[in-house]
Amino acid sequence: MKQIGFYQPNFLFPKQTIAMRKLIVTLTLFISALLPCIIHAQDRTISGRITDANARPVPGVNIIVAQTNKGAVTDADGRFTIAAPANARLLISSTGFKSQVINLDAAQTDVQVKLEEDFAKLDEVVVTGLATSVKRRNLANAVATVSAKQLNGVAPGQTFDAAINGKIPGAYINANTGAPGGGTSVKLRGVTSVYGNTQPLYVVDGVFMDNTATSGGLNAITAATPGGSPTGNQDNPSSRISDIRAEDIENIEILKGASAAAIYGSKASAGVIVITTKRGKQGKTNINISQDLGVISARKLLGVRQFNADRAASLSSNPARSEALKQQFLDAEAAHEIYDYEKEVYGNKAFARNTVASVSGGGEKTNFFFSASQKDEGGIVKNTGYRNTSLRLNVDHRISDNIKLGLSTNYINSSADRGLSGNDNSGTSIGIALSSTPSFAQLHPDASGNYPANPFSASNPLQTIALMTNNESVNRFVTGLNLDATLQRNNRSITKFIARGGFDFYNLQTTALFPSNLQFQAVNKGTSIAGATKNLSTNYILSLVNTFTPSDNLSFTTSAGLTQETGNYENLLNIATQIIPGQSNVDQAGALNVTQFKAKYQNDGFFVQEEATIKDAITLTGGVRFDRSSNNGDATKYYAYPKAGISLNLTRLGLMEGGLFDNLKVRAAYGQATNVPAYGSKFTALVVSNIAGNPGSIVNIQQGDPSIKPEKQTELEAGLDFSLLKGRLGIEFTYYNKKIFDFLMLAALPASSGFTNKWVNAGDLRNRGIEIGVNARPVLSKMISWNTSVNFWLNRSLVTRYTIAPVPQGSFGYVLGSFQVEEGKSATQIVGLNGAGVGVLGDAEPRFQMNTYNEVTFMNKLSLRFLLHWKKGGDNVNLTYLQNDFGQTSADFDNVTNKLNVPDGVYRIMQVGSTAAIFVEDASYLKLREIGLYYTIDKPISFIRAVRLGVSLNNYFTHTKYKSYDPEVSNFGTGFSTGVDVDPYPVSKRATFNISIDF
Amino acid sequence: MKCDIKGQNIFIQSEIKTIQMKRSKYISLIIATVMTIFLYSCKKDYGNLNSPTVEEFLDNATPTDLNILVSGTESGMRNSMGLYLDDVSTIGREGYRFSGSEPRYLSDLLGANDAELSSSNFYITNTWAARYRAVKNCNVLIQAANNSKLISAAEKNGYIGFARTVKAYQLLLNLNLTYSNGIRVNVSDPDNLGGFVSYDEGLSAIASLLDSAKTDFGGASVTFPLAGFAGLDDAAGLLKVNRAIAARVAAYRSQWADVLTDLNESFFDLAGDFYLGVYHAFGTGSGDQINPLFIPQNNNGEIRLAHPSFAADIAANDDRIAKATLRQSVASLSGLSSDRDVWIYTSSTAPMPFIRNEELILLYAEAKIQTNSLPDAIVALNVIRDGHNLIPYAGAVTQPALITEMLNQKRYSLFYEGHRWIDLRRYDRLNELPIDRTGDDIWDEFPLPVTEN
Repeated sequence: MKQIGFYQPNFLFPKQTIAMRKLIVTLTLFISALLPCIIHAQDRTISGRITDANARPVPGVNIIVAQTNKGAVTDADGRFTIAAPANARLLISSTGFKSQVINLDAAQTDVQVKLEEDFAKLDEVVVTGLATSVKRRNLANAVATVSAKQLNGVAPGQTFDAAINGKIPGAYINANTGAPGGGTSVKLRGVTSVYGNTQPLYVVDGVFMDNTATSGGLNAITAATPGGSPTGNQDNPSSRISDIRAEDIENIEILKGASAAAIYGSKASAGVIVITTKRGKQGKTNINISQDLGVISARKLLGVRQFNADRAASLSSNPARSEALKQQFLDAEAAHEIYDYEKEVYGNKAFARNTVASVSGGGEKTNFFFSASQKDEGGIVKNTGYRNTSLRLNVDHRISDNIKLGLSTNYINSSADRGLSGNDNSGTSIGIALSSTPSFAQLHPDASGNYPANPFSASNPLQTIALMTNNESVNRFVTGLNLDATLQRNNRSITKFIARGGFDFYNLQTTALFPSNLQFQAVNKGTSIAGATKNLSTNYILSLVNTFTPSDNLSFTTSAGLTQETGNYENLLNIATQIIPGQSNVDQAGALNVTQFKAKYQNDGFFVQEEATIKDAITLTGGVRFDRSSNNGDATKYYAYPKAGISLNLTRLGLMEGGLFDNLKVRAAYGQATNVPAYGSKFTALVVSNIAGNPGSIVNIQQGDPSIKPEKQTELEAGLDFSLLKGRLGIEFTYYNKKIFDFLMLAALPASSGFTNKWVNAGDLRNRGIEIGVNARPVLSKMISWNTSVNFWLNRSLVTRYTIAPVPQGSFGYVLGSFQVEEGKSATQIVGLNGAGVGVLGDAEPRFQMNTYNEVTFMNKLSLRFLLHWKKGGDNVNLTYLQNDFGQTSADFDNVTNKLNVPDGVYRIMQVGSTAAIFVEDASYLKLREIGLYYTIDKPISFIRAVRLGVSLNNYFTHTKYKSYDPEVSNFGTGFSTGVDVDPYPVSKRATFNISIDF
Repeated sequence: MKCDIKGQNIFIQSEIKTIQMKRSKYISLIIATVMTIFLYSCKKDYGNLNSPTVEEFLDNATPTDLNILVSGTESGMRNSMGLYLDDVSTIGREGYRFSGSEPRYLSDLLGANDAELSSSNFYITNTWAARYRAVKNCNVLIQAANNSKLISAAEKNGYIGFARTVKAYQLLLNLNLTYSNGIRVNVSDPDNLGGFVSYDEGLSAIASLLDSAKTDFGGASVTFPLAGFAGLDDAAGLLKVNRAIAARVAAYRSQWADVLTDLNESFFDLAGDFYLGVYHAFGTGSGDQINPLFIPQNNNGEIRLAHPSFAADIAANDDRIAKATLRQSVASLSGLSSDRDVWIYTSSTAPMPFIRNEELILLYAEAKIQTNSLPDAIVALNVIRDGHNLIPYAGAVTQPALITEMLNQKRYSLFYEGHRWIDLRRYDRLNELPIDRTGDDIWDEFPLPVTEN
C-alpha cells in the first residue's frame, strides 16, 4: 500500500508537542474542528489494481478518497491499497488517462479499474491561476502544452530554447544564431511590442526566471553598433533561459496572451511559459541514467567562388595590382594552395556528449527528485562549444496532513564559447573576414605558428579563431518554495493558504580576449574585456484559495492574494587595451575603460479570482489583478488587469447527447496585461564622456519621458473544441484578437533636438490570428499505434494608431531594407528602396505555420517520433549574400543570368542604392526538426527495469529557397527585428545515439 | 446511528470552533498585517542608478558640475568626426574609405551606378546627430550656468562664451553637409524645435552666435580645464579661437573684409607655426576616445586611402606627399584602387585639428585675393609654399589664377581635414573633381536625415 496521505484518527489531540509548531497545532485544531464526523467513521482497507485498455498495469496512478486528504499511488504492478470509509468515492487520475470516479459499495474492499486513454487530453490539469488549475475540458483558453516526451524525447536541440522550437502552436520562434549556447526569440501570437519586451515570461516551479541577454562587450571589437559603446544589440549574447535543462522538465504550459495570462499582470503581456519540473513519487526508488553521444556539423555551407587567373586579376582595377593578383593565384595553384576557407572554418565536425542521472522516489511524508547532468558539446567552428552542468533537487514534504511544503532547487553552471560572428564595421567578424577572402589567399600559420596577415581583409579568420576567446560563463541558483496549508475543510468547502515564491540568482562572467598579435589589434595592441554580471530576481505570491462545492453539480474556486516581484541587475564591463603580451587580466594593460550598469525594479500587486464550474460543463472565470511598478513614470499608480472566461461543454450539458461528438466545447476568454517600460526610460541622463583625464558628462542620446506608461494589452479569444470517435480525433479551433494600446517605442527623434530617440507610448497595434490543432490516434492496435498532432496557425498584425513619424528602424536603412512601423500597415513590414522610391518590400510575419508531431509505436517496444515544422512566408533581410558579393567571393558570382549580361555578383552590387528588393528574401522553410527511433528492452537483467536505445537526428532536413545559411537568423538578437542576416554563425545539425537505463 | 454521534460531535466542536475561530482570525490578521506592511510600506522609485540626470545639473550647479559639462562637450565634439571627415573627403575625392564590412562608403558616397545618398543612412544620420548632441550639451551648459548661484558673473560669461562658440562650430559642420537643405538653429527645446533655415540664413545665425560669444569672452574669467586648447585656454585665447572660426564663416559668406578683421583678432600668424591651433585630443583613459582616423599603414580590409589623384597632381618636392604614404601593395575594392594610405595621424592618440594657423593663412590669402590685394595674397601663399619645400609662386597674378593656386595649396595643406569638397562647392568647381568609375556621381549636399522630416 502506498499511501500518500496519512490519517490521524485522533485529530483533537494532535501529537505535535514541539513549541515551534504552535501555529500548526492551532491551525490543525481549527481545521479539525470543522471536519465533519464522517471522517471519524470507521475506515476499511481497500485494495485494488489499475490497468489500461490492454490489461497492462499502470503505475503511478493517483487514487484519492473524495473530500479527504487521503490518497495512494499504484506500484509497478498497478496495485494499491488505501483506507477508506464505506460508501466513499475514489477519484482516480493519471496523466494521459481519463479520470474516473469509483463509488464504493458499503462492503466493497477490492477494486479493479480499467483506465481509458485520454486521447484528447480532456482530463489534463492546466494551471490557470497563480495558485489554481482547471481540467482542460473546462478551459476557456487554448493553452498549449509540451510534454516531457515532446520536449526531450525526440531529438532535442542543444539548449532549452532550441528544444521548444517548432513545438508551440501560435508562436513564432526564431533561433538568432547557430553559435553554441543558444539565443532564441519567442513571440507568442504576434509582436506585442516594438521596442518593449517581446519575450514571454518564463516561470519555473513558481519562480520568475530572468531572461536578460547580456552583452559581453564585443562591440568594442566589431564596432557593429556605431557610437563607440562597448556593447550593442548586435553582440549576439545567449538567452539566459537557455541555462535550464530540458531533461528536468515534466511539462510546459504556454499562456499565449492576456486572456490566459492576465493574472500575471505587468509581466504577462508577451505571454507566460509555465514550466513544471519533475518531482518524486511515493514508491520504489527509480534510478535512471541516460547517455547521449552525438556529432554536430554545419547544416549548410554557401560555397565559395571558384577562382581562376582572370577572376583573380579582376579583383583589382589597378593594372599592376591586377597582374600581381593573377600571379598570386597562379603561384597558389601551382603549389596546390587553393583553399575552401568557408569549409575550413565552418565545416568541422564536433563531438557532443550528454549524461543525465536521476533518482526519484519517496516515502509517506517525503518525496524527492534528484538529477545531475552534464553536457559538453563542440561547435562547428574550432574553439567554440557549450558545456552545461546542472544539479536539481526537488523535495516535497508533508509537515502534517494539512501542510505540504515543496522545494525546488537547481544549480547550473554553463559555459559557452561563442566565437565572433555577425555584423561588424571592423572586418573582424569571421563571416565578414571570409566574405572578402578569396581561395588563393594564404592564411595558414608557418611552422612556428605565426599566422600571416590576410591581405584581403582586416583580419585573418584562421588566426582569429585560433587566438581569440569569447566566453559566457554562468553560475546560477534557482530556488522555489511552495507552501500549501489547508486552513479549513468540510464536505462542501476547502480553504487553503498557498504561498509560492523563490529566487533566481546568477553570476555571469563574460570573457572576450583578443591578443595583440591578432592582425586587427594593430591599433589597440590587444584587447581584454571582462564582464561581470549579477542578477537577483525574487518573486512571491501569497494567496488564499477556497473551493466551495455546494452540490455535486456546482463548484466555486475563489482565490485572492498578494504578489511581489523584484529584480536587481548589475553589469560591470572592463575593457582593457594595450595588453601586456601573453596576459589576459584587465590590469595587465596600458588602458582601461570601465562601464557599469545597474537596473532595479519592484512590482507589487494583488489579485482576486473566481472560478465557477456548473455540472462539470460550464466554467465561468473572472479575476482582476492590480499592479504597480517602479519602472512606470508614476511608480505609485496601480494598474488593473481584469480577465474573464467562459466555457460551455455542450456534450456534458446533455445538449448534444448521442451525436457525432464525444465532447464539444465552446469557449471565450478576455483579459488584459501590460508590459512595464524599460528601466531608466523616464530619465534624461548624462553619460560619461571624458577627455584627457578630465571627467565629462554629455547628454544621453535617449530622452527620458517622466510620464511613460506601461503598454496595455487586451486579448479576446474564442474557440471551439471537439473530439470524435471516442476521443481518437480531437480538434481545437481558436481565434484571437489581441490589441496593444500605447505600445512602447524607442521613437526616433529629430536628431537636431540633441536626442536620437525617446521611449514613447507611440500608438496602438493589433494582432489577429487563428490556431487549429488536431490530435489523432489514426492507428491503435496491439501491434502498432500511431499518435499524431497537427497544428496550423497564423497571425496578422496591423498598426491601428501611430502618433510619431514613421522612420526605418531595426536594420540598416532603406538602402538595404528595414523595418518601419507605420499606421495602417503590418507592424513587421519591411520597407526599402524599390527602384522608384521607398516602398514595402516584404513582411517578417509568416503567412502561416504548421507543425506535426508524430509517434508511431510498434509492439510497444519500438517507437518512431518526429517533428516536422513548416513556416510559409515571412521575409528576412539577407545581407550575408551582399557581403559575399561585395567581397567578390560568392559562389555564383560569375554566373550570368541577368539582363545586363554581367556577372551576377556585379549585377547584384549594381542594385545597391537603387533597390533593396534583392535583399528582402522569402524565408519560408520546411524543417524536419527532430526525428528519433527508440527501442525499449524490458528487464534485460534482474536489476535493470528497462533499457532504451535510440538514434536521433536534429535539424537534418530543411527545404528552403532561402540563400543564406539558414532562414532562422537574427543579427539583432532577440527583439522586434528578427530575420536580419549578416554573416551569422551557421546553424548546425546533429546526429545522436542515446542509451537510457532504468534501474 | 452515526448521525447521532455526528450531531453531538458538531455540538461539542462548535464550542471549540468558536474559540479556535477567534484565535485563527487573530493569527490571520497578524499575518495579513505583517505582509501588508512588508509589501507596501515603502513606495519604490529607485531613481537613476547609473548616471546623473539633466535636472540635477540645472539645479544650482557647482563649478565642478559646470566643468564636467565643459569636458563632456569637448569630448562630445569628437563623436563621429572620423565619419564626418570620411564623408567630406570621399565626396571631395581626397580619399577612399575601404571597408570589407561596409559597402556604402564606396557605393552611396561615390554615387556608384544608380546609388544615391539616402536620408536614413549612417553617413548622414550619425554625424548629424553627434553634432547636435554636442549642441544640446552646450545648451545644458548655458542653462546650468545661468541657473547657478555658485559662480561669478565673469565665470558665467566664460562658460557661456565657450558653449556658444562650440555650438556655432558644431552647427557649421552640419551645415557643411546639408548645404542648401539647411539646418535648425533654434534647438533648445527638444519638444518644440525651431524650423529649418537656408544655407545663407544658417551661416548668418552661426556668425551672430559667434559674435555673442565674443561679447561673452570680453568680460569673462575662464577657469575650466580644456584638453585640446593648449596656449589658447584662457578667455583671451578662447576669443582668438572664436574669431578664427568666425573668419572661416565669413569666408563662406564671402564677407572678405570681415575675414580680415576676424583673422586680426584670432591666433592667425603669417610667421607662425602652421600647426598652431586647437585640437580634438585623444587618449586611452577610461571613458576617453582614440583617434578614429588612425589606421596603421599597410593595413588590410579596413583602410583609408588617398585618392590616386593626390599623388598624381602633387607638385614635385612637395613635402605634403608624406600625408599619403606608399603602401607595400595596392589596395583594391569595388573597382577602385589606390597605392597610398592616408597618413596624417601616426598614432591612435594623435590630436586632430579643428582649426589651425595653416588654414588661417590660406583664409587670409583668399580674402586678399578677393579684395584684390594680390601681392599680399602671394606673400601668404608663398609662406605656405615655402613651408612645404616649394619654390615661390610664379604663376599668373590674376584673381582666377590665384584662386586656383589657393585652392590647390589648401587641398594639400588641409588634406583629409574636411575642406576640399566645401571649398570647391563654394567656387562652383565640383565638376573639376575626378570620376573614377563610369556612372559615379559627385554630390553637392547630403539629404536631411529622415527623422527631421
